[in-house]
Amino acid sequence: MKPFDVIVVGSGLAGLMAAATALDCGQRVALLTYGSGSLPLASGAIDILGAQAPDVAIKSLPAHHPYKKIGLKALDAATKFFCEVTAQADLSYVGRLSAQIPIVTAVGTLKYSCLVPESMDASNLINKKKVYVVELKGLKDFYAAMLVDNLKKHFPDKIFNVAKLDLDFLGGRDITCMDAAQLITGNEQTLADGLKTLNATDEDAIIIPPILGLEGNTSRTEVKSQLRAQIIETTCLPPSPPGIRLQRAFIKYLQKSGVRIFESSKVVRGVVEGKKATGVVVENAVREKVFPARKIILATGGFYSGGITMREFDNPIEPVFDIPVFFPQGEDKWSNPQLFSDKPQGFAMTGIFTDENLRPIDEHGKALFDNVHVVGANLGGSDFIFERSAGGVAIASAYKSATV
Amino acid sequence: MEKTTVVVIGGGATGLGILRDLSMRGVKALLVEKNDLVNGASSRYHGLLHSGGRYAVKDQEAAKECIIENQIMRKIGKSCVEPCGGMFTRLDIDDPAYEELWVKGCADSGIEAKPITLDEAFRLEPRLSRKHVKSAYLVPDAAVDGFRMAWQLVDSSKRYGGRVKTYTEVIGVENVNGTLSGVKVRDQFTGEEYSIACDIAVNAAGGWAGFVGKLAGLEIGVQPDKGTLIAFNQRIVNHVVNRLHKSSDGDIFVPHGSITILGTSSMSIPDPEDTSTSRAEVESLLKIGEQTFEDLRDFRILRTFAGSRPLYIPPGGAVGRSASRGFAIVDHEQDGLKGFFTIVGGKFTTYRLMAEKMCNQICAKLGNTTPCRTADEPLVEEVPQADIDRARKFFPSYGVNLAATRLGVDRFKKVVERLESDPESRELVCECENVTRAEVEEICKDDTSFIVNDVRRRTRVGMGTCQGNFCALRAAAVFADMGVESTAKDSLTRMKEFLQGRWKGIRPVLLGRTLRETEMTRAIYELSMNVTGGAAQ
Repeated sequence: MKPFDVIVVGSGLAGLMAAATALDCGQRVALLTYGSGSLPLASGAIDILGAQAPDVAIKSLPAHHPYKKIGLKALDAATKFFCEVTAQADLSYVGRLSAQIPIVTAVGTLKYSCLVPESMDASNLINKKKVYVVELKGLKDFYAAMLVDNLKKHFPDKIFNVAKLDLDFLGGRDITCMDAAQLITGNEQTLADGLKTLNATDEDAIIIPPILGLEGNTSRTEVKSQLRAQIIETTCLPPSPPGIRLQRAFIKYLQKSGVRIFESSKVVRGVVEGKKATGVVVENAVREKVFPARKIILATGGFYSGGITMREFDNPIEPVFDIPVFFPQGEDKWSNPQLFSDKPQGFAMTGIFTDENLRPIDEHGKALFDNVHVVGANLGGSDFIFERSAGGVAIASAYKSATV
Repeated sequence: MEKTTVVVIGGGATGLGILRDLSMRGVKALLVEKNDLVNGASSRYHGLLHSGGRYAVKDQEAAKECIIENQIMRKIGKSCVEPCGGMFTRLDIDDPAYEELWVKGCADSGIEAKPITLDEAFRLEPRLSRKHVKSAYLVPDAAVDGFRMAWQLVDSSKRYGGRVKTYTEVIGVENVNGTLSGVKVRDQFTGEEYSIACDIAVNAAGGWAGFVGKLAGLEIGVQPDKGTLIAFNQRIVNHVVNRLHKSSDGDIFVPHGSITILGTSSMSIPDPEDTSTSRAEVESLLKIGEQTFEDLRDFRILRTFAGSRPLYIPPGGAVGRSASRGFAIVDHEQDGLKGFFTIVGGKFTTYRLMAEKMCNQICAKLGNTTPCRTADEPLVEEVPQADIDRARKFFPSYGVNLAATRLGVDRFKKVVERLESDPESRELVCECENVTRAEVEEICKDDTSFIVNDVRRRTRVGMGTCQGNFCALRAAAVFADMGVESTAKDSLTRMKEFLQGRWKGIRPVLLGRTLRETEMTRAIYELSMNVTGGAAQ
């Protein structure tokens, strides 16, 4: 096999972004995937940092934070490129680095994020007169009573109306938001007709579960054009249609532009000569195979995706290149007594430290390899979920590693 | 004022057994429990229905009681008992002399211990260590579901007029001139305090018996003894697998449905509320466990939990593992309080016998001569096959029998009717344990359902593979839909508390695939649901 310029391992947000960026730099790119990636689990919004103005707050992060290595410039470029890719795949995002946009969650809290699918943008909710919350008969995981109870706390003066639509094509017993999104594709008119019966005006908003298809803006455009009220999608339990839309948008972009995608390709180890990696070994159902490359971007994720594993306490492992993994040692530092609290979780900080080019480093700060880069959730030193930076770190580290 | 003949203090197996026995003998009885039922050792344990093999050397009286009660329990609690059988295995590091003592002890206690060849042992339990296991025997151990048995005891008691008040804490024991007149209680949710007049009160508070005794100015010899256990997400064993050696930590594996419980440790603690577990305890259990099953660490741990055995310490007696597993009944008339009893010690397997002996004394006081019938009458009737067949249309087939035995005849029928008439109630709230919305709604309606955890213990919502990742939101939502407003808490708080409860058992075992599950919990609830508030606006 002829060596690829870049091999990206992993098809979560970081891997997809790295492949797209490398491609945009004119490289010959292979994307090795195993499993579905973590995007079907995600809200679809790209959290940059939990602060009023993330672009300012980033400046005061500690030096070891990935954002400090990546730099604001690359982060800014990454967000612009992200929006370009999604727009080309007909999936609209709104937002910027200097502000947060509210999203209504499935339980009726508000979530704030920097880059938000247009279909979830709830910025204007505050100006709406009436808010309709629409359940669908047969759909699980969306419960208007609970949502309204909690959303009322943010908008105590607003009028909330709960409605239930019966879209008979849903049928069945156990319809998730993903099932509904799939079933609504091609059946948008039925949904639009149902929503029209609410008689909501342009002063109103209609909150629905995220069911407007699994591909780009298509289903949404069709429904939206027939309604006067603004229609707003919430987040949901996985599998999450907005996350899937984002994943599909990137894959569409990559396929159109000629990235070779190898599915069911589990990377079991790297091939290393001195300080240089020459490829990775892929294991599939029948055999092992070497994929040669000039540059390798490891986007294998954290504990969730298996990019880092830990069979014994105090012994986390990066299974492909056996890169040293930072972790908080001892039971007390590993986790907090409270699952949700005002402190980051130790185990979530587990990960790999890198230099400014996202290359893993040894204890003296020297790059371990010339051409291996680590991006996304397997970076160490911060709890990206706690600080609401998972999406931003993924796209920015991917962008930078692919452009250096 | 509320009035009854007997107040039973404590909703563990012993208290519930007493409530049932008294009710069946026609004595008016009310059980009060400060938490939900079986909050102590009656659910925080192995779920092992002892054959008595464990006690065959040390305590043959206990061993004999076990084998008799074991057979009774299989008969009266059919749907709570999984008759998986048990195996005792001696490892190369264990003392062969003990094996001889044990074989003799079993024979003397009336426990059938059938020697089997190692080939047979490895065929029955393929994961046993071929390196270490040196001999094996089959015994009539079984697995028993403490939650299910508790609620069946309640159902049985209610049929005879027995009553239960959960989240009702006893805060005082009242007497008139040395004769008990009632107990004072506090409603845990409203804070309301009131008295219940009664002729007799039984302190069956298990690990808390000492505290209840203090309310009456009595010193009770009970030592809470903490046992830590690990639940694995797979059925590692087909039988209850015991180590054939002097009883020690981490030497019993019990299969329950699709999981396995390994335990336990033994540690004297001052406070029975202490159900904390640590990484060190987990490590030590794993280290011992992997002597019998070498690949133990390849299995995903679901969670860890702990409970405290209420060991009875007679004045000057032994503590810890060498303390007796026997029980004691104290009539406090000897201490100057007529009408007040304490029953303490014992073990789950013999709760019925303990209750019988306790009730014999109570009934003698009351002049009631009705004989005990708890060993003869099944706890609940069997669910008719016709209802099971009806339910099969809406359930995944694996879930039908589970739900039928959880719910019992009447509730199951109502659930099936709901499923038939309301398609939306067919939603699976908990996929791991196959719990439908109809079932959750039915249990929510019960007067003992206050918080999501109460529903969890009844239905098993959130107890499976995903540990609440999906069903925490759904169960909280059903509560909101049903308008269950027993507390001032909103659905968000309920959901967080439910997940926090799961976290308590996950935290000490946060490694391997359990880490993945936790990352998923955080991605859903912190990121997608923002239950913590997160980013500034």
